[in-house]
Order: sequence, then C-alpha cells, then structure tokens
Amino acid sequence: MSIIASEHLSKWYGQVSGLNDVTVQVPAGITGLLGPNGAGKSTFMKLITGQLRPSKGHVRVLGEPIWGNPALFQRIGFCPEQDAFYDSMTGRQWVSALAGLHGFDEATAADAAARAIEAVELTEAADRKIGSYSKGMRQRIKLAQAIAHQPELLILDEPLSGMDPLMRRRTVKQIKEWGRAGTSVLVSSHILHEIESMTSNIVLINNGRIVAEGDVHHIRDLIDEHPHTVSIRTTQAHAVARELLADEGVVSVRFDPGGLVVETARPDAFYARVTDLAASGRFGPIHEITSPDDNLQAVFRYLVKA
Amino acid sequence: MSGRPDLPAPPTFAAGAVRVFSLSLGEMLWSRRTVFLLLVTGAPVFLALVARIVQGSGVVPLRVNGAAVDGGAIFGMMIWIFFLRFIVPVLGVFYGTSLIADEVEDRTITYLFTRPIRRGAVLVGKYLAYVVCTTLVVLPSVVLVYFLLVPLGQVARTFTAFAADLGLLALGLAAYGALFALVGAALKRPLVSGLLFVFGWEQIALLVPGYAKRFTVAHYVQGLVPHAMPSDGVVQVLQSVLRDNPPAWACVLALAGVVAVSLWLGVRAVESREYVLDQ
Repeated sequence: MSIIASEHLSKWYGQVSGLNDVTVQVPAGITGLLGPNGAGKSTFMKLITGQLRPSKGHVRVLGEPIWGNPALFQRIGFCPEQDAFYDSMTGRQWVSALAGLHGFDEATAADAAARAIEAVELTEAADRKIGSYSKGMRQRIKLAQAIAHQPELLILDEPLSGMDPLMRRRTVKQIKEWGRAGTSVLVSSHILHEIESMTSNIVLINNGRIVAEGDVHHIRDLIDEHPHTVSIRTTQAHAVARELLADEGVVSVRFDPGGLVVETARPDAFYARVTDLAASGRFGPIHEITSPDDNLQAVFRYLVKA
Repeated sequence: MSGRPDLPAPPTFAAGAVRVFSLSLGEMLWSRRTVFLLLVTGAPVFLALVARIVQGSGVVPLRVNGAAVDGGAIFGMMIWIFFLRFIVPVLGVFYGTSLIADEVEDRTITYLFTRPIRRGAVLVGKYLAYVVCTTLVVLPSVVLVYFLLVPLGQVARTFTAFAADLGLLALGLAAYGALFALVGAALKRPLVSGLLFVFGWEQIALLVPGYAKRFTVAHYVQGLVPHAMPSDGVVQVLQSVLRDNPPAWACVLALAGVVAVSLWLGVRAVESREYVLDQ
C-alpha cells in the first residue's frame, strides 16, 4: 500500500506552476525526494503536509485526504526546511510544548520530548535556549519535534542541511533505524549521495514534474560522469586541501572565504573520506559540507532528453 | 520507531485552543512587543505620579481649563484620553493583527498547522493569550493610576465607577483584539488596515450624525464609560456633541457580539487560507 498517493496533482502560484500534473505513489519504507532547488520539492512537501491546497488533482496521505484533516497529523511527523523557532524557549520546552499539541498530558509530553531529544543526541543542550544553538543543533531539535509523538510517517524536508559530517552520518544512521523499525520516511534533498545513503528508492523531481521514480541506481552512474562540486567549511582549509589532493578522484580545489571548494569525479569515496577526516579531528573541526544543486542539473537535462 | 505508543485522541477544538494558549502566553509575555506595551501603559502611571506629587506639594492646585479639579476627575480624563482613545485600540491593532501574521512572518506557523488540532483552535488559543497578556498589563496600570490620583477618602464613593472602568477596558481589549485577529487572519497587510480602522474610520464615524458610529467598536466601549467625555480638542468637542449613549446592556451585548462574530469569521478565514504562500 502506498503511504502517499497523488493523482494529476498540480499547484499554481498565480501564473507560475509549482507542480504540474504529478501522479506518484510513494510506498512504505524510506523514499528520497530528489531534485534541485526550485524543482517543486517544497511545493510537493507543502501539499502532502496540508499547508497548500491542490489547484488540481488529489493527494492522499496514509489513505486520507490531508487538506483540512488535522487529525491525520497524529500519525505524521514533519520536519520543515525553514530555520525558524521560538528562540526564547529551550529545546526541551519547545519539543514538550509541540508534543502537548498531540493531546499528551504534561508529564507524557515531557517524557516524549526527552526521548526524542535523546534520539537526536541533544540531551546535553536540551535546557539551553534554541537561540543559542548552532545550525546543526537547530536541525536536530527540528527532527526531535517531528519524532516526539512517534509517528507512522515522517516527512523530512532537507533534514541534513547545516549538519557537520559526523552528525550527518549519525542522522542518516538514525533515519535508517527508524525505517527498519517500521516508520515510513519521505526525505527530500538536492544531494543524491545523501539520499542514496538512506535508501535506493528515489523519486526524482524537476521543473514541477516527476522525472523518474523507483530503484534508480543507474542515476549514480550518470552522476559519476559529471564532476561533482563539494564545498567544505573549515578553519584549516589549506591543510585539508593538501590531504584531499592526494585522493585519486579529486579534479580541482579552490579556496573560498571560510573553507574550500573541491571538484571530484568520485563523490561517494570523497564524502566518506571527508567524514573520516572530520572524525579524526586531525585538521580541526569540519563545520559543514554542502553540495550545490548544479551537480544534479546535468543529470536532469540528460533524463529529460531521454 | 519501535514500541509506538497508543496515542491519545486528537485534542478537541477547545482542548487544542487551551494548549496553544499555554504555548503562546509565555512567548507573548516575554516578547519585544510587551516592552512596547509596558512603555505605553507606563506613561499614564508616570503622569499620575507627577500629578500626585504636584497635588501633594500643595504649591500649585491642579487645574483643567482654568478650573480646579480633584484626583477623581483627572482619573476620569486619563481613562478617556490615554486608555480609551489610545492604549486599548492600539494594543488591539498591534497584538490582534499579529496573532497569525507574526507566526507566518517568522515561519513558525508550520509547527502549529502540522499538528492534530484545528487551525481555528490556533487562532482562538493565541487570542486568549492576547486577552490575558494585555489585561495583565493594562489593568494593573489603571489600578496604579487610580490609587495615585484618587484620595483614599474618595475611594468608597468612586469605587463602583472604577470597577466599571476595569470591566469596560477588559471588554474593549477583548473586542478590538478579536476584530483585529480577524483582520490579521484574513488580510495580507493587517496592521495598515487596523490602524486605518482605528485612526481613520472610527474617528470619522463618531463625527457623523446617524448610524455610522454603530459600525465602530469605540461607540460601544465609550457608551460604558462612567466619566464625562473631556473636550480637549475640536474633534472631541464635535464627537461629544454628536454622541448618543446606548444603554450599558446594549453596549455589552454589542461588544460580546463583536468578539463572537469576529472570532467565528477569523476561524473560518484561518482554516481556508494557504499561509505558506505569504512566506
């Protein structure tokens, strides 16, 4: 049975089309929604979380229509993309308060919040104000509020954005564990390798249309044909560059304020290497690795032509 | 997630509103807007303190338009000039229009609208938090002004009027807040519309003979005031001349109607609008 099903789903913003005639069935388990910025991922996410009403077509989540059906959120957890919080609350207060909106009494909501915060490894910072959190911690507390009520379906919009490599690895592992435990997860990203590390079941979206779906391992080969750009934020850019240049797949390195940008022909091996470097701590902290979505554009152009 | 718990039933509308109230009250009380609220309500307290010092010194008797006035009369004027004409409508506009608009602007609305509670309950819960937050700040300010200005010997005689002042101010805050909660839920630029209503439409309507004033909140709030309306300007003199005083029960009923209808329409607006389009 599909957990999310849309039929001829379209959304227009005035004259602009955000999503165009999308018919897709997302099965239970972990599914990646992959596409560059502006592809329609966010519109799709907002439609399946009932924040937008379809202009045309239908969308059903867990077998029920989602627009105007708040009771369904008892079974859904949503981690939005935006970096927005009640900054004056502590992480624990915030997650407890949001869990309370599911009908839990105060003590149960507090327990649920504590479990969720522990799952995202934020217990030590739980009683600090969210305003003092780093970007990665803010991402994790967002995940905590999504899982606190232990939903059947988790919808995660760019959940790894802003996390350092080690936390990325742990979060990916955690998402896979949730999947193994029976929670269905729909996770969006513009980075294929992030998605691939969680699942092989991918929905590819571009220009408001579904370009491909299913087990799309062959997309990987396409990616490998195009050099892949990765931006690394670190205080010891030169030392990290020296280390990475020894790698076979690295095509070029240039320095940016706050870090370096590397072009690699072997992204899988490269990501693993950077994560290991971060874990070793030999070159100080590696704060963030990001991948611009133009890596995907060439692949999408190829798929659309095909 | 293994060991998925038996989830409670989704909260009812009322239970959802109470949960949102609890979440919002603290946020509202400790927000920057409350600093503004404290400044606004602190001004009449400061002036009352100055008046008390002047009165107490006995050097210069307090006079208005050349006539000596007692503390009770000054208190009545302050209720009109500061609280009725300015503080209550302005707080209604600033808080009421922001109940939903602030969450949309801060992009935190997503967290509330992806919960198993009706969106209308979010609006009502936040509205209740507004009513509690503003009355908790405004009414103590009125109490301070009263006890600073009115000599203890006059308290027994003026206490009923004072209690009526507190009640009408709370009712005014509730009515303006509900009306502007509706405006905030339904319109894209609610603050401008709210200010135009209070300082444009209401001022004009109160000057026009006939029925226009019945489409203002001020008409019914002013109808409950136990003090004489001060004539401190041309507009105020004209408003005083053209004023008709509906009975108190009619004013209370009308204000309760404003609250009920505005909230009902606000709930409908909030449940049908796609707020993420505004972000």
